[in-house]
Amino acid sequence: MSHPIVSSSPYAHNNQNVRKVMLQVQIAALPALMAHIYLFGYGIVIQWMLALTTALVVEYVMLKLRGRPVLPFITDMSALITITGLVFCIPPDAPWWIVVTGSAFALIFGKHLYGGLGYNPFNPAMLGYAFLLISFPVQMTQWTMPVEFTQSTLDFMQSAHYIFNGHIPGVSIDMYTGATPLNEMRTGLSQGVSIHDTLNKELQTTLWGLNSWAWINIAFLIGGLWMLYSGVISWQYPVGFLGTLAAVSMMFNLIDPGLYPPMDVVLLTGGTMLAAFFIITDPVTASTTPKGKLIYAAGIAILVYVIRNWGAFPDGIAFAILLMNIAVPLIDQYTQPRVFGHKR
Amino acid sequence: MNLFTPIVNLLAKAHPSAKRLMHKFNGGVFPKYNKSLSASQPIRAKLIPQQLILPLQQQVGLPPEVKVQVGDKVKKNQLLAQPSKDPFKALSVPVHAPTSGTITAIQPITLPHPSGLEDQAIILEPDGLDEALDNILGVDGTVPESPLALKEILLNAGIVGMGGAGFPTYAKIPNQRGKIHTLLINGAECEPFITCDDLLMQTEADSIIQGALITAEALGAERIICGIESNKPAAIKAMQKAAANNRVEIKVVETVYPMGGQKQLTLELTGVEMPHKAHAVDIGMLMMNVATYTTIYRAVTFGEPLTSRLVTVSGLGLNQPFNMHVLIGTPFSTLAQAAQPKTELNYPLVMGGPMMGFKVANNDVPVIKTTNCILANPPEPVEMQMPCIRCGDCMDACPVNLLPQQMYWHSQAHEFDKVEKLNVFDCIECGCCSYVCPSHIPLVQYYRHAKSEIKEIHAEKEAVELAKQRHEFRLARIEREKQEREARLKAKKEAVKKEAAKAPTDESAGKKTSSAAAAAKAAAAKRAAAKGQQASSTEEQTETKMPSARLKAIEAAKLAAQKSVKRETSDADTDTKQDAAPMAKPDPKAAAKQAAMLAAKKRAQAKAQQTAETTDLTQETATTEASEKESARKAAMQTARAAAKKRAEAKADKTDSIGEEEITQPNPPPPGKTPKDGTVDKRKAAMEAAKAAAKKRAAEKAALEEKTVKTDSADEMTDSQPSESDSATSTDNAADKLKAAMEAAKKRAAARKAKQQADEQ
Repeated sequence: MSHPIVSSSPYAHNNQNVRKVMLQVQIAALPALMAHIYLFGYGIVIQWMLALTTALVVEYVMLKLRGRPVLPFITDMSALITITGLVFCIPPDAPWWIVVTGSAFALIFGKHLYGGLGYNPFNPAMLGYAFLLISFPVQMTQWTMPVEFTQSTLDFMQSAHYIFNGHIPGVSIDMYTGATPLNEMRTGLSQGVSIHDTLNKELQTTLWGLNSWAWINIAFLIGGLWMLYSGVISWQYPVGFLGTLAAVSMMFNLIDPGLYPPMDVVLLTGGTMLAAFFIITDPVTASTTPKGKLIYAAGIAILVYVIRNWGAFPDGIAFAILLMNIAVPLIDQYTQPRVFGHKR
Repeated sequence: MNLFTPIVNLLAKAHPSAKRLMHKFNGGVFPKYNKSLSASQPIRAKLIPQQLILPLQQQVGLPPEVKVQVGDKVKKNQLLAQPSKDPFKALSVPVHAPTSGTITAIQPITLPHPSGLEDQAIILEPDGLDEALDNILGVDGTVPESPLALKEILLNAGIVGMGGAGFPTYAKIPNQRGKIHTLLINGAECEPFITCDDLLMQTEADSIIQGALITAEALGAERIICGIESNKPAAIKAMQKAAANNRVEIKVVETVYPMGGQKQLTLELTGVEMPHKAHAVDIGMLMMNVATYTTIYRAVTFGEPLTSRLVTVSGLGLNQPFNMHVLIGTPFSTLAQAAQPKTELNYPLVMGGPMMGFKVANNDVPVIKTTNCILANPPEPVEMQMPCIRCGDCMDACPVNLLPQQMYWHSQAHEFDKVEKLNVFDCIECGCCSYVCPSHIPLVQYYRHAKSEIKEIHAEKEAVELAKQRHEFRLARIEREKQEREARLKAKKEAVKKEAAKAPTDESAGKKTSSAAAAAKAAAAKRAAAKGQQASSTEEQTETKMPSARLKAIEAAKLAAQKSVKRETSDADTDTKQDAAPMAKPDPKAAAKQAAMLAAKKRAQAKAQQTAETTDLTQETATTEASEKESARKAAMQTARAAAKKRAEAKADKTDSIGEEEITQPNPPPPGKTPKDGTVDKRKAAMEAAKAAAKKRAAEKAALEEKTVKTDSADEMTDSQPSESDSATSTDNAADKLKAAMEAAKKRAAARKAKQQADEQ
């Protein structure tokens, strides 16, 4: 009786796999999704389903074109994470073609053209978002206003109607859309209104002293903490990112509170928590050494702060991440850990 | 650590990876141990199988030589195979009969080795009587006093490291006493499923401790530390009891894989991080497995060789896993069947644990000295390998702090130089990275492959380097021989010239010498002619292959030689005129020789002129730095002196061969010698040489003692020869060679001068 040697040791495994990792990330995004639905209406569900359909089609076509087995790769769920990241960045009631082109661009140009999962240097979701922001700035900055301003959100059918047709019969959409707080702070500053005054206006209608944007961020934070616990993401990313952002914002807020928003506002507006736990933690495009992860995350935080305060865009997360993606090979090169028995 | 421990314990309840903070090395994994499968069972009674298969290759190193024949009846413990060569070099250990019986065959069988290769094995059919030879090692039960005495016993007992690698134990032990200050006992047993060390510590704690004490005594070790993982409370208790009244320290270490790794356990027990590429012995530590210490104890105290060992037979595919003292050579399948497999054993068994073991090529392979576990885990569906997502889980798990994801990336791309730069050779192949990889990439397999590829690349590089060195040495040798010949020729010409000059004054001597000189001249001229041809043919070769500096040096030397040849030939023309007078008178033979010589000389002259033209170019480009000139002059002087010496030697009826090596040593003058200087130096040197030779000759005539003096100096020369030729063989240090040769030549010249002065007085 003889058998060919099929594999070498180890013959044990901790039963973790890529699919499970991706699924855990998806589950961690659920609290934020719920909060989003409650605060901004069902728009995001429609967007998400549109993106999912696009993703399935794009994945299938691209895998076929690349001559790869379709089933194992389409079920690796990496596309799901990409579109989830993207959908949270898109205005919930943006026209349908925004999310479709964005998802398609993210998956084709962000992932498949580089060789598929594991080979892409840039974060696909952020690549898609940057593409949309540059190509369709108007649609991308018309955010649905949260429930505290509109008193009631659009229902599912209204959202669907608006997304596909661009108007809702009998309803003025202007009632429901507006600028994000980050945008308002920016326009406020340009009109000579201090950060403090802009924020006070916002703070009038909040739940437990926090506005809807903050609540979305807190939902992301909860999901992120769960991912940290289950070991899906490394602690270096959120710690490096949030720590640096907090430190920088506190410093500048101390210098001039009228010009620079306070720390808690910086941490709980825009896509801060989404980035900290869901976007920059994408291991494929992030630095991979322990020290490198910290440097990478800190670099993104600094760039985010720079773009938000002095750049041309209200939220700079996408560009900050893409810029740091470029630096990853360099960071990895210089942050290699000391090997056992070697001297540094 | 005391304050820290409860916090980490709390954290560990919340999240298991917090346990990684509890040990000193990086990472590690916490696999399902499944140890209770076999640990809960008592050790089973010994089993004598139908057939014992004893591979000659039981360990790393070379197999021993068979000492029995087919049909021989053997008894338990009888020597079956013995190392033929020096065992210390071959890492070879003997094989003994595990029980009594008959040798039925000596044939190749499949080895329990990852390669699945076949090799010679002795097949023993037990008679069931188990008759033993007692104390075959002839020990008296006392503790060996020196490491060497202990090593002798360990070698004869055939003891190898029983933890896994199977490195012969005697080879691990240093020869000098006191080199090892800390003796470590490895009772960690971190692999899942395996419990043989656990049970051994529970049942034979005293033998382990005694074995360690014996070893420590023989080696002069001060400390003995035993590390046991915390998941073996019974073993810890037993060992603590056995170590209660002696100096063995029992330390409980965290349960984490790979705690049992030598480097990891050493760090944990002593706090010393074994330096990269160093062996434990280098830092004064020696670690052995608990099972090895028991066999040491049995060998030293009872003279028993290693013929059986405790083996765990376990796995999810067995109904009744167990531990048993198994005879070396028992087939795996026999043991697995004894554990009542749940299903037919149509899948490969694993030797060792699930993390570092290997699937055997054939389930009938025998238990060898390093088999600690036979694992029967039914095959599980293999997850498809996905692309690496660089999650870094492998890096967090790596106990050596490597970057497995990066090494994988480069291994996959066949960029082996980069893999090596990432310290792939520090990888201990523990399998932690593969264990945690969510993409199910067989990372360890990639590293094994990369290691073998890198080794091959290095071997190739070395071969190429060696070939290059050989070629360069060959070229240098050819060049040296050429110069030797030239120097010899010149020496002989000088001699002839002097003889001829002297001839008219001393007729009786002149007759003799002139004929001899003529013969020499003819021979020399012939050689010069041959040389010239060779030079022109080899020149192209040397020009393309040699380093420029060396090339220049050779060119300069050649040039110098040619110049002297040219000059001498013109001198010789006048010589022959002088020679002709005494020649004409009596000797017809000599006349014929003279004619031949003249013709040869002409040919040589023509050739020399030709070659001189070709080397003009190099003369022009040669640099003219003062220091170099100086050294060139010196070298030329040396050459001349050496030539003079040589001539003197020839006079003293010494064979050419003695002088050859010596003459050539100072030869290649450094580069940058201008032709003008060369000629001046040459002339000067030649004059000096001539003077010296004349003096010599005069002295020879004057005194008989002179001869003895010369033989002395010749002896001196031959003495200095070996070292010179030694240095000549290494092409790398040409400069050293030159210096040494110059030194030697100078010394000789000084000695000669002194002698001459003495003679003149």
